[in-house]
Amino acid sequence: MKNKGNWQKSVVWSGMVVAALSTIGVFCPPQGMAQVPARFYWKTLSGGNAVPLIVESISGNTNPFDSAHTVTPGADFDATLAILGYAHTFSLFDRSAMAAVIMPMGRISGDVTVAGRSVHQSAEGFGDPMLEFDINLFGPPAQKTIPDAMRYEPGFSVDLLADLALPIGEYNSDKSLNLGQNRWYGRLGMPIIWQLGSWVPGRRTTLEFLPAVWFFGDNDDYVGQTMETDPLFQLDAHLSRDFTELLWGSLDAAVYNGGEPTVDGVQGKELSNVGMGFTLGYGVNENLNLTFSYKSTLNDDAPDDLRMDVFMVTLVFGWHPIIEGSRRLQGQE
Amino acid sequence: MGQSLIQWGRYRPGAIPGHANRRADEDPDGRRMNARSHTFTFRLKGFMAAAAILTAGILLQTAQATAETPRRPNIVIILGDDMGFADMGSYGSEIKTPNLDSLAKGGVRFTDFYTHASCSPTRSMLLSGVDTHLNGLGNMDEWTAPNQRGVAGYEGYLNNQVATLPQLLKDAGYHTYMVGKWHMGKAPGQIPAARGFERDFSLLDGAGSYWDMYNFTGAAPLSVFTEDGRYLTKLPDDYYATKTYTDKMIEFIDANHGDGKPFFAYVSHQAPHDPYHLPKEWRSRHVGEYDKGWDAVRQARLKRQIELGIMPKGTQLAERMWFLPDPVVLAPAARAMLGKKMELYAGMMENMDFHVGRLIDHLKAIGEYDNTIFIVFGDNGAEGTDLFKMIAGKPGTRDFLFAAIKWSQNHPNAWGDPGSYVGYGPMWAQVSMTPFSQYKGWMGEGGIRNALIVSGPVVKRPKESINHGLLHVADIMPTLLEVAGASYPKQHNGQDLPPLIGKSWVPMLAGQVDSPRTEKDYLAWELFGNRAVRQGEWKIRWEYKPLGKADWELFNLTADPAERTDLAAERPDKLQEMIKLWENYAQANNVILPSRSVFETLEDQLPPRVPDDPGYPPLINKKQFVPPKDMMAEPKP
Repeated sequence: MKNKGNWQKSVVWSGMVVAALSTIGVFCPPQGMAQVPARFYWKTLSGGNAVPLIVESISGNTNPFDSAHTVTPGADFDATLAILGYAHTFSLFDRSAMAAVIMPMGRISGDVTVAGRSVHQSAEGFGDPMLEFDINLFGPPAQKTIPDAMRYEPGFSVDLLADLALPIGEYNSDKSLNLGQNRWYGRLGMPIIWQLGSWVPGRRTTLEFLPAVWFFGDNDDYVGQTMETDPLFQLDAHLSRDFTELLWGSLDAAVYNGGEPTVDGVQGKELSNVGMGFTLGYGVNENLNLTFSYKSTLNDDAPDDLRMDVFMVTLVFGWHPIIEGSRRLQGQE
Repeated sequence: MGQSLIQWGRYRPGAIPGHANRRADEDPDGRRMNARSHTFTFRLKGFMAAAAILTAGILLQTAQATAETPRRPNIVIILGDDMGFADMGSYGSEIKTPNLDSLAKGGVRFTDFYTHASCSPTRSMLLSGVDTHLNGLGNMDEWTAPNQRGVAGYEGYLNNQVATLPQLLKDAGYHTYMVGKWHMGKAPGQIPAARGFERDFSLLDGAGSYWDMYNFTGAAPLSVFTEDGRYLTKLPDDYYATKTYTDKMIEFIDANHGDGKPFFAYVSHQAPHDPYHLPKEWRSRHVGEYDKGWDAVRQARLKRQIELGIMPKGTQLAERMWFLPDPVVLAPAARAMLGKKMELYAGMMENMDFHVGRLIDHLKAIGEYDNTIFIVFGDNGAEGTDLFKMIAGKPGTRDFLFAAIKWSQNHPNAWGDPGSYVGYGPMWAQVSMTPFSQYKGWMGEGGIRNALIVSGPVVKRPKESINHGLLHVADIMPTLLEVAGASYPKQHNGQDLPPLIGKSWVPMLAGQVDSPRTEKDYLAWELFGNRAVRQGEWKIRWEYKPLGKADWELFNLTADPAERTDLAAERPDKLQEMIKLWENYAQANNVILPSRSVFETLEDQLPPRVPDDPGYPPLINKKQFVPPKDMMAEPKP
């Protein structure tokens, strides 16, 4: 007979499900190639929290702390980038929403070779903190209760995304290579999730897109000059698939177009690049998720093409007060 | 008796097939059929000599008569596996069953119809008309007790001491078709084709996957299917049980349509038996609807039952099982999780109803619907026991390992998929059996009383009417034999046949009487050691603890259909009178109480039984005290 304790087990079990859900996808955008991993915009229970730690090792001919990806021809940079953040989920007008703040930090160094002359540059410290806000426009309603979270399936959902970087990162106007960008910039985007097939852990498949436009203010002290940058169109795409209930992977692609820089009236080259990569994700436990990614630009043969490759490891710790409380009562900690 | 009570134009129930009033185009089949029927064969041979003398004049009269004679009615039995008394819309359910309800609208609903407490015993009586302890299902094959092994009547399959309804209907000139669950034997001599069905597509097991051939135990990992008497090595492409069964039945009917013979179609659906396997589009029709909990749904169903006239005013709900929580004390997540199981079950019912609708529509399209009798019922009470846990609940066992490989799709979003196993538990089984107590396997009304709809040309009672006569599943055999113009032979295959225990409904369906039974007639049951007797308004039952008392209990079902009040101590005279009936029944039918039972250790598994007192304890039920507003204040500095 199942009678004894059947309903209690359901409580425990559903809590565990939600705890797992609350940690998946709640982390903040790394700036390397300005592409977030797949599953970033999956929704979770309102009131959830997450602290991401993202570590990237990047090499290429652009400053990974600069979302404009302005190419420095002849440059060969190496950077180690860490991002710490905090994200909180909530409901707004019955829609799922998320607010986050991230703080990039790290170091970058490299040589720029022009006409046979090499110049070494380096920078370290804190970059520009970024605020992010995301709200779902079309798709399942906000997960205001645990039953809502249990019933979540993205189906076809569309969000509105807004990012704003605060120009308070470390900046030295004597150098062209900095962590802070000394200008306001941000992004408007529409994250799209398209669920393919059933929404069963171990079998979930999604196609995800993020069309977005980055807008940049002027840096009026770029090595004593003024740098303007045209808006940059970016399209991220991911084909994501569970391998098991805890292990998943994705094929990632990013397309950049625009972002033509102008320094004191001298125009640079606009970006028209494609990057490809992959991600492996693993749910370590109910609170902790781990991902490993590699991405690299493809059409990067010319000196002024964007060239960058990125190794990225993310650790995201997520929690929700209800789930934590339930677990304490169940003596699982 | 039936001959005098109803008439099909010139056709009279009880008339001998092959008689002069049959249609000319039935004669060849009628002769072939009669060759298999000793009684009819001798009678026909005797008549043939006389018929030859009468020659042309009589033939002319016969031709005129047959031109006016409609065919005997087709018969469709729709059996819902574990479908509860209150699961159809016409019985008060919120589940949408428009097609089954349409049969109720054109026919009669019955409120006092009894099956057995479990599936194969019920099916054995349906198809033999003989008590389970004589027909081979004195116990379920899965639970045959040591002291019952080798005893006639306890074979675990429908034994050869009985003649089957399809055999006799086939002898009477009917086509006989079956689809769905058989559960009355797997050996070549026990399968549907060997027991009277011309065509079949059958699941021989008691349950299994709806999507594939997987069954539940490591010892017997595959379900066994037959099609037209051959054991299947694989299932058809695009197989889904309820759909495929319906497709096959339509195919069988069409194959012989137009040959002038009526058909008997036994549509023995696997649905809504667990596991709740369901196509995706049927899983999300009741999202969140059952989060309110089982008590609220039971109350709503009872209210509708009273409005419909299914239950009388003043009917009370049976006690919620003492080991189940009041849903109001559960967290939303628990209610949603448990409610989702009921959402699936509702989907199972609605999907089955949809496919019943396909069959109805097809019969209308080929012009057979108006001449078809439908009999719809569930085979026992709704399932409140966790079969899956019973089989695979212990880690480290062979069956747990098998379940881990084949039955572990247990995420709620996978419920309904192949490899998932969902049953809805005792809380929702009680809902399905509203307003009764207990469920499948037990002798409470919730275990043995079920919904029954009969429609078609045999029914002369007002359309959409409700009847409260005392009926039993074993009545169906004599009823349909009478409808088909056949009779129950004394012998079959050279063997004396045991007596039918049922009574024909034909007079009752014709509106001549309200019940096939008098106040003195009684019904009796025994299964797994649980037993019961019903006579008139009285019922006794003996059940294992803790659902029962391991002693006889007495109930007045007219005053107390939910069996809330045991009157054994108050009416010892009536109790003794009823126990005498039990003893008569047990002796007449060779009842051997099992030395082992599925319920023998249940008392050790469930919490101690306590009464269900709403609002108790106040500790967790009293709401927040709110002081008068004018007496509230901030703390003083």
